[in-house]
Formats: sequence, C-alpha cells, structure tokens
Amino acid sequence: MPNHMGETGGLTGPNAFGILINSSDTPESLIQRARQCVRKGSEQLKIGIPRAFYFHSYPGLWGALFRLLGHQPVVSPRSSRTILDLASARTETENCLPQKLFDGHLLFLLDRVDALFVPRVLSIVKGHLCCPRFGALPDATRAGIARDANLLTIEINATKEPLAKTLIPLARQLGAGRRAAKQAVAQALAAMAIRQLKEALRQQAPHSSRKFLLLGHPYTLNDRFIADPVVCKLEQLGVPVERMTFEDHEIEPGLIMWCIFNKMYRKLEHLDMHTYAGVIQLSTFNCGADSMMTERFRRMCRHRGVPYMLLMVDEHCGKAGLDTRIEAFVDSLSWQRSEMAR
Amino acid sequence: MTERLAIPNLGNYTVALAAMVTAMGAKPWWSTYTNDHAMALGVAAAPESLCLPFKAHLGHFIEADDAGVENAMMVNSIGTCRLRYYRGMIEEILKDMGRSIRMFGLGFDGFKPPLIRYFDPPLIPFLRTIHMAFEKIKTIDTIELATAHTRAREIKTGETTLLMERCLRELAELDTRKAVRRFHQQVSGRFSAIAIDEDRDPLRIGLIGEVSLLRDRQLNQNIEQILGHKGAQIKNFFLLGAEIGNIFGFSLGNKKNTRKRLAKVARPYLNCTVGAHALESVAHTMICARSGFDAMVHVCPTGCMPEISIRPILNRISEDMDIPVLPLSFDEHTSALGVVTRVEAFLDILWSRRQKGLGPAGQRRN
Repeated sequence: MPNHMGETGGLTGPNAFGILINSSDTPESLIQRARQCVRKGSEQLKIGIPRAFYFHSYPGLWGALFRLLGHQPVVSPRSSRTILDLASARTETENCLPQKLFDGHLLFLLDRVDALFVPRVLSIVKGHLCCPRFGALPDATRAGIARDANLLTIEINATKEPLAKTLIPLARQLGAGRRAAKQAVAQALAAMAIRQLKEALRQQAPHSSRKFLLLGHPYTLNDRFIADPVVCKLEQLGVPVERMTFEDHEIEPGLIMWCIFNKMYRKLEHLDMHTYAGVIQLSTFNCGADSMMTERFRRMCRHRGVPYMLLMVDEHCGKAGLDTRIEAFVDSLSWQRSEMAR
Repeated sequence: MTERLAIPNLGNYTVALAAMVTAMGAKPWWSTYTNDHAMALGVAAAPESLCLPFKAHLGHFIEADDAGVENAMMVNSIGTCRLRYYRGMIEEILKDMGRSIRMFGLGFDGFKPPLIRYFDPPLIPFLRTIHMAFEKIKTIDTIELATAHTRAREIKTGETTLLMERCLRELAELDTRKAVRRFHQQVSGRFSAIAIDEDRDPLRIGLIGEVSLLRDRQLNQNIEQILGHKGAQIKNFFLLGAEIGNIFGFSLGNKKNTRKRLAKVARPYLNCTVGAHALESVAHTMICARSGFDAMVHVCPTGCMPEISIRPILNRISEDMDIPVLPLSFDEHTSALGVVTRVEAFLDILWSRRQKGLGPAGQRRN
C-alpha cells in the first residue's frame, strides 16, 4: 500500500538513493553538494504538505524534493475522523469529501509549519486536464482556510511544459543554485517514478484467482479515511484486490479530457473478464467528475461482461451499509462463478 | 414538411437562437424556460448526482422527442467543467431510452458543424438571418436592462414582467433586420411608459454565477422577479451580447467586460480562469463593490465544480470590500418558498445596512 511507504514522503532508507545522475556521482555526494549549495543563502524551512490531492498524485515527490533542497517537509498524518472534524466546521459546505479532507490536513499543519505547499495543478498529463477545482485551489486556500499562512505555490501544467521544467523555479525559489536545483529535481522525480512503478507492479501482479479492480482517484484510493474501510473489508472476505494505478503517462488522448478518467477508460477498454471478477468504483460525495463518468464506466463494464458496483463514500462513516453492500457483491459473484463451473 | 429542431434553453435569449435555427431551414422547438413537466422527466432519467442544468436539458429534449421533434441541438463546450461531456451523455441516455431524436453539437466542431452540413441552408439568406439574430440579441440585452430598471420602481406590481413578455413575443415574430432595428429603438420608450415611483431608490444587486441558473427562470425559481418585486434593481451579469463578444473577440454591445480585463481585476484574489464563469463571478463582485452596489447574489447548481470552488474567495472579498454576498445553490428539491424566505431576510439586512449608512453603498449616499 503506497500510504504505508515512508511516513514523510520517500527517501527515508539508504536504498532509496540508488539513482545516479552521472556515472561518477554517488547519490550521497550529490545530495551533499546540493545541500551545500542550498545552505549558502537560506535557512531551513518547515514546509507543510497536506496528505491529500497532489500528495497522492505525485507519490513521494514533494517530500523528497524539499528534503533534497535542504528543507524539512512536514506531511500531515493519514486522514481520519479527527482530520475531517477539523475541517467540517470551517470548510465550504458543498465541497466534495476529498476537498474537505484537504482542508482538514491544512488546518492540522497550519500552526506546525513555516509555509504550506499548495500548487495549482492544471494538468498532470500532457494534453489532459484536471478537475477545475484545482485551478482555484491556492487562491481559495489563501482566501478561506489558511488565511494568514505562507503559501508556497507553483503552477503545474504538463500541457504547457514538463514537470521537470516547472519544478526548477520552485527549487530556485527555495534557495538552491541552478545546478543544485536541477539535480534535486531530477532525483526527486526519479525517486517518484521508481516508487510508482514498484507500486504498479505490486498491484498488477498476477493472482491465482480473479481479482477485484478498485477504481477511483489517486487521492481517494490512497486515502485512509475513504478507501481503507473498503479495502479492509475485501481483504477480510479473502478476495484479491487491485487498486488502479496511474503511473502510465503515455495514454492516448481521447474524448475524456480528465487524465485520471482517461486512464481508467483505457484500462476498462481492455478489461479481461478472466482476470477480473468485478469492478468496484469508489466515488466520493459531490464529486462532479465522478458523477459524469461513473455512468459511462458502468456501460463499459457491461460491454466487457464484468460486474460493476459504485460505492459512494461521504462524511458519515457508518460502516454497516458499506460492509453489507460489499459482502452482497462478493457473494453474488462467487455464486455466479460456482454456477459457471457447474 | 420542414424538420423540427429542439434547442436548449437560454432564458430570453432563446428567442434569438430560434431565429438562427429558422435561418437553417428548420422549425425551432423552443421555450424561454424549462417547464415543470420537462424538469420532472429530466430528473427521472438523469444520473442522480449530475447538476441541475443537465437534468433540465435532458428533460427538455425528452419532451421534444415526445412531441415528435426529429432533431435536437446541444451546446458543446471546450472548458474544464463537465458541461463538455453533456452532449455525449444526453445522446447516450436518449439512445438507452430507445428514443429516436437526433442530437447535434453546436460550435467548436470544426469549420462546418455537422448541424449546418445536415440542413445545408443557402448561404446568403442564412448569413442575413444570422445577422438579424445578432440584432435580436442586442435588442434582448436592452429589454433585459430596461426590465431590471423598471421592475424595481414600478407602481403596479407585475406590469413590467407582462411588458417584457409581450416584447419578447413580438420580437420572436419579426423576421427582417430592419424591423428588429426599428423595434429595438422603440423598446426603451415602451418601458418608460410604465408608471414608476420616481422617489424610490432601489437596492442595487448584482446577480452572478452559472449561466443556466442565471438565465432559466424555472431553474433559479424566478429570482430576478422575486428581487425586482421587492424593490431591488438587479444587474444580471450574463448578457449574451457581451458574452459572444468575449468568446469571438469582437464587440457586440458591452465592450468593458472582456475576459482579459476581468482577469486583471480579479488578480489579487484569483489567478486562474478556473472554468465556466468563476473568474467573471470574482471580478464582477470586486467591480460591483467598488461601484457602490448594495450586494451580490451568487447562484449556481448544487455541486457545480467551478463555482463552488470559488465560494471561499467570494466570502473573502465580501469581508475585505464590505459587500454582502448571498450564495444560493439550487437543485431539483429547492422550493421557491425557501428562496423567497432567504431573499427576504437578505433584503431586510440590506435595507437596514443602508439606513445605518454602512458599507460602500451607504457611504456613497451620505
């Protein structure tokens, strides 16, 4: 599970440094050099990274980057009822659940850090878009939840320029020299790529029996408050689960402009009913994009002959209803299988 | 017999859209608001968590199909909002229901949209009618402004609304540009014939938010009229003339409100276009606060992606620039009575603010 890897966002063990920029460089010397460059002008900042939205879309990247630049990343703890309660009194009532959690994480970090990192993520994959909510995220944060806080923000628009290029000004802003900035960015990105690949291999590993595919956003599938009750229940029932992973950026652009949904679409297009027993879409209350796409995915799964279930999670974490639905779904699929065998 | 074409509702501007459809050699099937029956049909057929305008459009087209209309037209969008997928979604749902109505997209489909390819109108008369339709749009802009002005001051409640509807009906009948022009010149005269209370100083309220909600009086529970009859002069910031000028970069009516200029205004609070009319909402709130408006009303469908995300910003502007903002969300369960109650309470506060001389509007007066 990705959220079990590295509490503070990556590069914790000595083995995580195993990426070389030049053949003569050892990573340790690289970081040392980077740190020396950084320390020259600036002091160490505590940079808060809320464990929501872009933390999950770029697993491990931000923590690694800030640490390589000689600052101290502070990642909020995993989502919980407490985090949500922090936000629910102050956030906009009509926000979707992930946004409310995001606000909770921000509130948790607010007094503990020097600066909060809230980027404007317009596009993660070239030629695609993100939820329009992200366009206003830093501005809305500054206006609402985190009033007097220092915001560290950049505009990430992969359609305009690749991420590696976008991050360099950020690194420079944090006090790194030109070379050090470049190196730190390259290393952090490589660490993220390796992490994503590992996770993808783990999730997509073949299994003796048919798996259940769990669909959702990176920030819902990897969120403890949203996804864990579902995953735990499935594991309890003894069925293998595969969480959707989003490491592949080489997707064919299509009708769907939201990158996450286009990735899911491409996955469902080639869904094999012999590998997957069923698809469970994890949706959060008031998610606009989900409301649009779940209907389409339902149709696609019907065409591929794979049963589909939509699970909507909201603020009220009564687990009984969720458990009943998952049990019923898994049971009915196992009956179907035994009937097929007969 | 000419085929019929159902067009989406855009409030009073549907009159002008209908003229464009006539130019294509089709018979338009339209209304200036979604009726209750269509709304119920749409709510029953649409996925539950989609926004109110989707349900309204879907219901409208189902009703059209029931009436035997052969074709339908839906707007296409290239924005970040889910409106982008609405045409495809409506098409799929109608197909699943076994309905035979044919859907066309409007605009952004390439040089020659399929709709025009299908009907293939003769070029010269087509362009002439489009030209006439633009004139109609300008006329409707004028009617809208005059209505807002007169309704807040009229002595006999309801007179303005009747005149507005009569004007729109007459405008829909006209079919040459010259006649529309002549009509346009008469509009302000006809509205000034209504007896008004000269001494009344109505509250000035800006109406911002999502387009369908601003324009379809069924969806917004007729908020313009509610506000108007309670003595508030509203300014609806969706004027199609100005809007088209924005999209295509030429002037049609109001030149001031180009997106570039609004982006500059909004920069201290919002640095991104976000999508739909979120940027406009922020910029207009700031402009209105500076020009002495009494308040703003922000309307959007429940769960609207861009508009909800800027609500914290509107709250902040409201605090910083001392202009009250009333956020209203609408879904199919919103009752007219609830809206009336909230608006009444809001107006009471505004009147007492004015009496005490609070806020930029109050200071301007003292």
